[in-house]
Amino acid sequence: MITKQQVNEVLDSITDPRTGRSIVTMGWVQSVHVSDGQVGVVMDVPANLASGAAPLRSQAETALMALDGIESAQVVLTAERTSKPDAKPQQAAPSKTGGPTGLDDVAAIVAVASGKGGVGKSTVTINLALSLAQQGLSVGVVDADIYGPSVPMLLGLGGKPEIVQVDGQDRFVPKQAHGIVANSIGFLIDADTAMAWRGPMVQSALMQLLKATNWGPLDVLLIDMPPGTGDIQLSLAQQAKISGALIVSTPQDLALIDAKKAMTLFEKTEIPLLGLVENMSGYVCPHCSEVSYPFGQQGAADHAQSKGLACLGRVPLELAVRLGSDTGAPIQARDPDSPAARAFQALGSSLLNQMKSVKPKPAPELIMV
Amino acid sequence: MPWPKQIKYDSATRTLMITYDDGSLRQASAFHLRVNSPSAEVQGHGGERPPAPMGKENVSIAAMEPVGNYAVRLVFDDGHNSGLFTWQILHELSEGVSS
Repeated sequence: MITKQQVNEVLDSITDPRTGRSIVTMGWVQSVHVSDGQVGVVMDVPANLASGAAPLRSQAETALMALDGIESAQVVLTAERTSKPDAKPQQAAPSKTGGPTGLDDVAAIVAVASGKGGVGKSTVTINLALSLAQQGLSVGVVDADIYGPSVPMLLGLGGKPEIVQVDGQDRFVPKQAHGIVANSIGFLIDADTAMAWRGPMVQSALMQLLKATNWGPLDVLLIDMPPGTGDIQLSLAQQAKISGALIVSTPQDLALIDAKKAMTLFEKTEIPLLGLVENMSGYVCPHCSEVSYPFGQQGAADHAQSKGLACLGRVPLELAVRLGSDTGAPIQARDPDSPAARAFQALGSSLLNQMKSVKPKPAPELIMV
Repeated sequence: MPWPKQIKYDSATRTLMITYDDGSLRQASAFHLRVNSPSAEVQGHGGERPPAPMGKENVSIAAMEPVGNYAVRLVFDDGHNSGLFTWQILHELSEGVSS
């Protein structure tokens, strides 16, 4: 059994020849994680010393591998960019946000958002993804709900994603189910662990899920957005090239109010609204198939129309949808002829049509002379 | 509001020039943009606006970074870099010039 103490002793023996001090005394070791024979270390290095830190990283790994009973040792290097107010910044480099990412071969990114929680956004996202895949598209889903990831359960997936090296960087291999690929923070943490993270950590975790996943060539990547219109939504709008947003709402006024807020956020960040989906649009009685409207009728559709927004579909409230969601067999895969599944197919087709005509305007060219 | 097609900074005249998709052209000085930066550092945090930054007459823009599809981050050579200039704000802070 390896202890943290042992790991720290090993790390303390790794010294930087430039300073003659160990990586522990310089305060570079940010975290040590030991689980049976597996050791993970995060080394945080000041940006100006980052270039010489790579050999120290491999030294540390080699030294850790010499421990008794070790199975694997992984030392991850991160360099913090310090902003110096008096430093003369470089000329604007358009490639700053560039560099290869796992998103490079993704043709279109669509955000699925709601504003309000509990309207069935994740269920809509997954079934929509399946319906697009059934129409022959290659589709991915990223679960951006860092605090309450539900994609693993919806797809019946679990376990940690594999890591591959692409362009010298570690990338997650997305998991596959029902003909789509997906990644979620839920694969990386225990299902019962609450994420007590502050904003900046959430944002960097989310960007990693997006950009450090080896999505490969995809026609559409759906982002299952967390409810709300705060930090996470804004940083996604700033950092991911989103082609458009799909708003999910129930017909209820209460949900509509929040849906309107979500719309405003996308409008402010110049992300085109592709349309609105009315979920839980009517309840199909399992006994007599009569349809009733517990959340009101047409509320979302009417609202969409008043905003000049297309209502791209109405999905009925069916017991089978909920059952499918809870058992990892989405209705779209389980019972493609059910009213809800047919509604998702229609939604997929109208979304594709909409994406052909509604496109984001190109960002202006930035020039320094 | 027209959509910006090109944003060009001329460091010789310290002027930002914006060309719009309707063919119109607008410009703003780095100084004007610096002292009216949308950053909370300049605008305050919802309460009273702090005193305007002083001595920025010769400030220049050192870099521009795109932010999503809706704004540009202007990095000034005095270190101020927290202002995200949306297309709307740029339009408001600039004045039209005949092209």
